[in-house]
Amino acid sequence: MDAAGIVLSAAVAGLFAGAPMSLLHRRAGYATATVASGLLFAVAIVALVAGPVQGLGWSGPLGDPESLRLDGLSAFFALAASTVWIATSFYSLAYDDRPSPLLAICYSLTLGSIALLVSSSSLVLFLVGWETMTLASYGMILQAHGRSGRVFSASFVFLAFGEASTLLVFVAVAGLRVMTGTFAEVPAAAGSLATVVFVAGLIGFGLKMGVAPFHMSEWLPIAHSSAPSNASAVLSSTLTLAGAYGLFRLLSLLPSPPLWWGAVMLGIGAVSVLLGALFATVSEHTKGLPAYSTIENNGLILVALGIALIARTDGLPGLYVFALFAAFYQALAHAVAKTALFLSAGYLEHAAGTFDLNSLGGRTRGSDRTAYLGTLAATLSLAATPPLAGFVSEWMVLEALFQSYRFHPEWVQFEGLLSGAAVALAAGLILVAMVKFMGFSLLWRPRATAADPRAPGLGAPIAAAGAAIVGVGVAAPWILKFLTPTVAAFAGAPVVAPVGGLLSVPDGWSIVSGSPFGIISPPVIPIALAAGALVAVGYYALGRRRGARRVAPWMAGSVPGLERETYTSFGYSTGIRIMMGSLLQTREVRAQVGSVTRAELATPVSYNVDLEVLDVFKVFYDGLIRFGEGVASVLKTGVMPGRLGRYLAYILIVTLVVVIYVASAA
Amino acid sequence: MSVVPSWVGQSIARGILTTRYPREPATDAEVPATGRPPVPVGGPATLAAAVRSCPVGAISEAAIDQGICIRCARCRTHGLEFAGSVESATRSRGDLVEPSARRDGTPPPLASLKRSLHVFLIDVGSCNACNLEVLALANPFYDSQRLGIFFTNSPRHADVLLVVGVPTDAMVEPLRRAYEALPEPKAVVAVGACPIGGGVFAGGPGLKGSLAELVPVDVFVPGCPPTPVNVLDGLLTLTGRDRRPGGT
Amino acid sequence: MTPSAEETAGATVLPTRDAERALAYVAADGAFALYNDYRAKASVLERDPRIPPTEEPALTWRGGAAAGAHRPLGPTPVVEGYGVFTFPYGPVSMGVPEAGKFAVRTYGERVLSLEPLGGFKSRGIGTSVVGQPVEDAALRIERMAGNFSASHVAAFLAAADSALGREVPEVELWTRGLAQELQRVYNHLHVIARVAEAASQNVGLAQTHALAEEILRVQGAVFGHRWLFGALLPNGPARRLDAPDRSRTSRELDRLSDEFEALWELFLESRTFVDRIQATGSIDRAEAIRWGAVGPTLRACGVDWDDRLRVPAHPYTDLFVALPRETGGDALARVAVRAAEIRASFLLLEQILDRWPRSATKTVAPAAPVGPGRGIGRVEAPSGDLVYDVRVAEDRVAALGFRSPSQANWPLFAHGMQGAVFTDFHFAFESFGLVFAETDG
Ligand code: SF4
Ligand code: SF4
Repeated sequence: MDAAGIVLSAAVAGLFAGAPMSLLHRRAGYATATVASGLLFAVAIVALVAGPVQGLGWSGPLGDPESLRLDGLSAFFALAASTVWIATSFYSLAYDDRPSPLLAICYSLTLGSIALLVSSSSLVLFLVGWETMTLASYGMILQAHGRSGRVFSASFVFLAFGEASTLLVFVAVAGLRVMTGTFAEVPAAAGSLATVVFVAGLIGFGLKMGVAPFHMSEWLPIAHSSAPSNASAVLSSTLTLAGAYGLFRLLSLLPSPPLWWGAVMLGIGAVSVLLGALFATVSEHTKGLPAYSTIENNGLILVALGIALIARTDGLPGLYVFALFAAFYQALAHAVAKTALFLSAGYLEHAAGTFDLNSLGGRTRGSDRTAYLGTLAATLSLAATPPLAGFVSEWMVLEALFQSYRFHPEWVQFEGLLSGAAVALAAGLILVAMVKFMGFSLLWRPRATAADPRAPGLGAPIAAAGAAIVGVGVAAPWILKFLTPTVAAFAGAPVVAPVGGLLSVPDGWSIVSGSPFGIISPPVIPIALAAGALVAVGYYALGRRRGARRVAPWMAGSVPGLERETYTSFGYSTGIRIMMGSLLQTREVRAQVGSVTRAELATPVSYNVDLEVLDVFKVFYDGLIRFGEGVASVLKTGVMPGRLGRYLAYILIVTLVVVIYVASAA
Repeated sequence: MSVVPSWVGQSIARGILTTRYPREPATDAEVPATGRPPVPVGGPATLAAAVRSCPVGAISEAAIDQGICIRCARCRTHGLEFAGSVESATRSRGDLVEPSARRDGTPPPLASLKRSLHVFLIDVGSCNACNLEVLALANPFYDSQRLGIFFTNSPRHADVLLVVGVPTDAMVEPLRRAYEALPEPKAVVAVGACPIGGGVFAGGPGLKGSLAELVPVDVFVPGCPPTPVNVLDGLLTLTGRDRRPGGT
Repeated sequence: MTPSAEETAGATVLPTRDAERALAYVAADGAFALYNDYRAKASVLERDPRIPPTEEPALTWRGGAAAGAHRPLGPTPVVEGYGVFTFPYGPVSMGVPEAGKFAVRTYGERVLSLEPLGGFKSRGIGTSVVGQPVEDAALRIERMAGNFSASHVAAFLAAADSALGREVPEVELWTRGLAQELQRVYNHLHVIARVAEAASQNVGLAQTHALAEEILRVQGAVFGHRWLFGALLPNGPARRLDAPDRSRTSRELDRLSDEFEALWELFLESRTFVDRIQATGSIDRAEAIRWGAVGPTLRACGVDWDDRLRVPAHPYTDLFVALPRETGGDALARVAVRAAEIRASFLLLEQILDRWPRSATKTVAPAAPVGPGRGIGRVEAPSGDLVYDVRVAEDRVAALGFRSPSQANWPLFAHGMQGAVFTDFHFAFESFGLVFAETDG
């Protein structure tokens, strides 16, 4: 074990050590997490530059060697996650003002377990990390302010989804063990079990990524239980990242996939992209909206991965590698942007005391410049505005989709076409969603009197995340080159980064899709923008223009900006609610409040009107939950009096042990 | 269904309707009697006799105040006739009383916008006739666009505020906002007796005396209501666009 | 259709086979004026809830009276809910080229309730004419709403004539009829042009606009004033309408009538025009009756009511008056009624010019006064039933009350807009032919 290996071991241990440190003081816990995240970041860079890093190793309980190690794939995810954690941990120092250290403990455990599963070299260790992560993040959600029935039922759903995920991941791991005869992460030869492993893994990891039709697992705990903001950021940015890592790892262990694997991933991805964007657009919750956007972004990862797999089977190596790069870039871009957005939601909560965009209505406008800039970068990036991170990744995914005309047979081509349409439509919708978030929180004139912003120390991490977003966007060609080992590790073969040059743009400054297909140059865009701005400023300075006259906006002669007379964020997206009525099951609920008298001319009637949308999947799961609760209450009262959660955990552990035993015996 | 050809056929069948004003004098069909200001036809002596006939007090022994004349025709039985010039718009309130000073040498207020003038109509308390006469400028008979005159939907896009009606208390604020919203250079045209001096409503409850009390007025177009040709004359006065003198 | 249970509840149903009258009686405890019969004019004020019975003529019903802007012009339901806000429209917009405002309650896109707000152009006409000689008051009354000037001044003079017991020269009454029918044609053309504009039917708009301009020119040629101001007063210029004038006018109107027929054909052939106004701003018959609709709005709901037939006066007693009716209750029905009324008015104009009274001196007795020095004048204005209630003392107006068709129809418009989308606004609004000027007074 070299120096880098020591640092890696220290980083993982440090992240776990945040938990006992939190008992001293929660700030100590967060500080430890910040430092450990920094270490992980550093060692991930080393791993990407200098090749795999080998950390602490030991012999596992089943006799297999287990160790911490970062290969290209692990290093990339460790890099993305640690970037997020540096910001969230630092932010938590100021954010978490609870008297109890429980949140800080669960937070550190979550981070540690994610680091563990990402850097594990053995599938058993991966599984241990996975389950710890599920339990620890469940603990974080329980720390929501104002515990109500809703908090418990939403976190219960989260736990149920989490355990289902663990079971399926376990099945996949067991399958791999049978195929390879070892728990070490080595590629399996093709076999009849491959399909079982793939399906179980796809569903198991898909559950964590919150892709359709399991998207409640993403938004329900975050939006409905209003989980703490640092927890939300970790859940939505890095928990889903862990899911993505699992999927990448799984696919890297299963060579020569059949065509339908890619097609299924592409399909699930496209549906998730559309559903996520749609529900983000109509969400009025400062955390629900980003959570839905996560569903969209993870869908994009699946779309890119699906294209990659199809391209590989179809014998299109160029497209295969490009789509892989797109998938990785999408994961990175989303992680940083979403972090900024959730931290911003926490800031807004502190500043205005609400998660409701509708009542927020610009009240926090102008309160904190750093928060403002960070949120601006995040929303613009998620809306795919050049030259930010989200723009580059979305461009790459779309470019890969455009080339689906090369696929065979025709039905896959056709699927590519439909997915392209879904992704394009989603891009339009998510723009509305992001404009809404930014507009009604920090940009537009307030609907009510401005809030008193009392959230010092929260702005800086948001701005830092914003800077990361700009960096990941502008420096995209170099980052892509940097990612080459990661992609190579995944592909199991040397690859070349899709960068080049065109016209007078220097070689290596542009991203090229296919040969030749599309080309963009993220670093040139800000230069062009700056040049344009310079011309405008120069023109303004040189010309003999008198000072601009400021006048109130023209509103047909009315006074602008009365609270009752200002567009609500709800109204802003009602067009979508009505247009997409069949998908959203939009319906108006009208209740009469006042009474009608005979003298209609004198007494107006009073109505309460609500326009409701419905997630059909939620209806299904609600039914399932009610059924589950019914069964549980029978068990609880009739069979085994005691705490339900404990029994569940107990049953789980027993199952786990039995299955491992059976699998290893086989 | 041959919808398009039939609309086209209908249009061709109707031929060209558009007035030749301002290249040629306006016709009697375009401007009926009340589109012209009343003037004494029997010498100044008739003025004195007509003073008492006027319901708005526009006639004094020395002169007629065309600004508040509502063209009620009562003075016609006392020797006055609607025989003044169709081009009755002036650039100062005083000129409506003393016509000698009309069209002096100073450059018109919006000379730079001779070729393209964007107009916003604002009603501050009219009877609706003035609004409709102004909007009639868009019909094929007047076709103001041939002269580069366009109506806008927002004062932010306009050069000129065309004000109709007598300013009510409630409209003072919206009027001020609209005036503020106009970009520079801007001008205000008072269309009709109402904004010029209250018209028939002068002195009514909750009314301002005149538009000039509220915003600077650049051109006054007398009449109740002024005909579209009168309004066109007012807008041309604003830009100083060349035209032949109308029929007197 | 038959009255619903809600409508019949607690009402006295009189034994009559006239369905129209029965329906009217149903509302007897507080809604509608259908039962106002011209034989019982004296009871108009007591029985029409929109003009509360008063000892004196008074401006108590929506408009004319209270000064101050933002006055609601109809009962509007209060709507609350998540994300619901008020979208203010006006008082200055080119969509509605008049000073008036609308407060739209919405959660975006859809109109949950719409409240018309008036009072922005209150010129205080109703109060400032008090104390003035009838002739001078008429100058203000005709400027109540410039495009309805003939109807306002005719109703006002009819009330004043009745109050004064003035024997009116027959030719003066026929002049009023001529002016009213011309103005009806103008206004209906104007409404059609505005709807065409809203539907982006630009050729149709230009053609209709041109036709309306030609009517104004006919008015200018006949009366010396494009808006008929001063024309209907005793001593107005119309007195000089001689035989050659009449036949020239008649020929001109013949031509315009033909052109209108051709134009309307084209409108009906245009899918976009018809589709856009169909089922827009719908009100049903029961609502129209309950809320007290008048004019084409009422007739488009299948109710036969026209003052020219139900409260006939010279010259309509001597003329054939067609009564167009539609049953759709939507913007299309209202526009169709107006188109048919243009045809009917051309027919009336032909009759009026043809049978113009020979004698310049023959007079007609006015309607009986409804009280000492107090008279009622009621005419069918282009947008519906218009009522003036005037008391005259010593040849001066002593008290005045009026109820304009716009005042009556605002609640219907507000009601018809509920549940519509924003883009329906202009079609619906224009089809009702509402005017803020005659609402505010
Ligand atoms: S037309 Fe009437 S208002 Fe004008 S000056 Fe003559 S009497 Fe006076
Ligand atoms: S000037 Fe005459 S026509 Fe114009 S708004 Fe005033 S009263 Fe009406």
